[in-house]
Amino acid sequence: MNTYRLMILTPDKILFDDEVVQLTARTTEGDVGILAGHIRYAAILQTGVLTVKLPNGETRTAAESGGVLKVSDDKTTVMVTAAEWAEEIDPDWAERSRQDAMAKIEAAQNEPDRLERANLKLQRALNRLRVSGHGTGQATPPLKKKKQ
Amino acid sequence: MANLKDIKRRIHSVQSTMQITKAMELVASSKLRKAKDRAEAAQPFFEATYKLMSEIAAEDPYFNSQFVRKRTDTGACLLIVIAGDRGLAGGFNSNVLKIAQARINEIKAQGGNPIVMPIGQKAVDYFENKDVKVLKAYDHIAEHMNIYLAMDMAELILNTYKRHESLQTVEIVFTNYVSPIMQVAQKMEVIPLDEMPGSHPRRCAVEYEPSPEEVFDKLVPRYVASLLYGAIVESFASEQAARRTAMENATDNATEMIDNLSLQYNRARQGAITQELTEIVSGANAQQ
Repeated sequence: MNTYRLMILTPDKILFDDEVVQLTARTTEGDVGILAGHIRYAAILQTGVLTVKLPNGETRTAAESGGVLKVSDDKTTVMVTAAEWAEEIDPDWAERSRQDAMAKIEAAQNEPDRLERANLKLQRALNRLRVSGHGTGQATPPLKKKKQ
Repeated sequence: MANLKDIKRRIHSVQSTMQITKAMELVASSKLRKAKDRAEAAQPFFEATYKLMSEIAAEDPYFNSQFVRKRTDTGACLLIVIAGDRGLAGGFNSNVLKIAQARINEIKAQGGNPIVMPIGQKAVDYFENKDVKVLKAYDHIAEHMNIYLAMDMAELILNTYKRHESLQTVEIVFTNYVSPIMQVAQKMEVIPLDEMPGSHPRRCAVEYEPSPEEVFDKLVPRYVASLLYGAIVESFASEQAARRTAMENATDNATEMIDNLSLQYNRARQGAITQELTEIVSGANAQQ
């Protein structure tokens, strides 16, 4: 299986920098899978999941909160605002930020700017919960049971 | 023996000051280490974003984004000033504020209208009573800086820039961390992103989805956010390095002072003993 170099960058860290077999990501135009030898390509990523297939057959998933994907000849770069591996997400923290976002949405009903920001925050929290395998991805009802 | 007591009291006071400066030096060193790691970790994203943006700008001859276009010369400028939250860091705060003030004077001299966005308590305090408009002030954010806050700030800056056609440039004053003993306060232009270097003179076909402009516009807020994040984290590292150096010097000075005072103390003590002996001996002589 051919591999290529993938870098997942966020403004505060390098999340990943190694050889991979495949990357799956959700762009604004739909899901894309990147294999070795892909043409030069750049696309906008939505808040969503990055799935990485490693040369040893292992698959890792990460939550990502929007950015840009770029494929060049020598490497593929994912530049996103934030990204965490599924196993590194703290479900309690994600749940708290989900509740926080819901409260903010309640409070910002008449202010479109703040409402939109709160909505984005909710999207991120839901995405984290989904990726970590602790959430249904639904905005309601509030999450009660948690697998520990 | 008032003299002896006085010297002793001074030694004590210098000693307790030294304990404080020593402690501050240690705290600054450990904060510096963390801040330096954070500043280094911020580099790759910034570089990758900048590279992709310049590639888009270079490849498309018809490329025209409002953030790249130069605006008419109005002299109006948004100045982001990053200083520290605390003092006792040598010239760290005053160097940054000096550059900022010089730029404000320059803008005013040209008849322009400066707006500032102070970051850090010292900058906020400085601009409080100055005759300039403050867009928004941030204090005590540098130590626990996170990217979401940087995104919010970037959004505010870009919206301000978009709304005010008369705003000519957005500039940032921060302290560049060169080495543990050298930090340089400097000014940098953020917007417009003029003269993006064309690193790819030949045009290579890249497929952009949905379009090069949209990818570019998506990158701009992230670019500005990562620039802000980087500048704030780097300034924080510089502040710690400056404080460490200042406190190291203060500790050295205190050590020297204690040495001198101890010498004085011992001399005075010796003098007192000699005098007492002389008195006893002369007293004994007088008896005979």
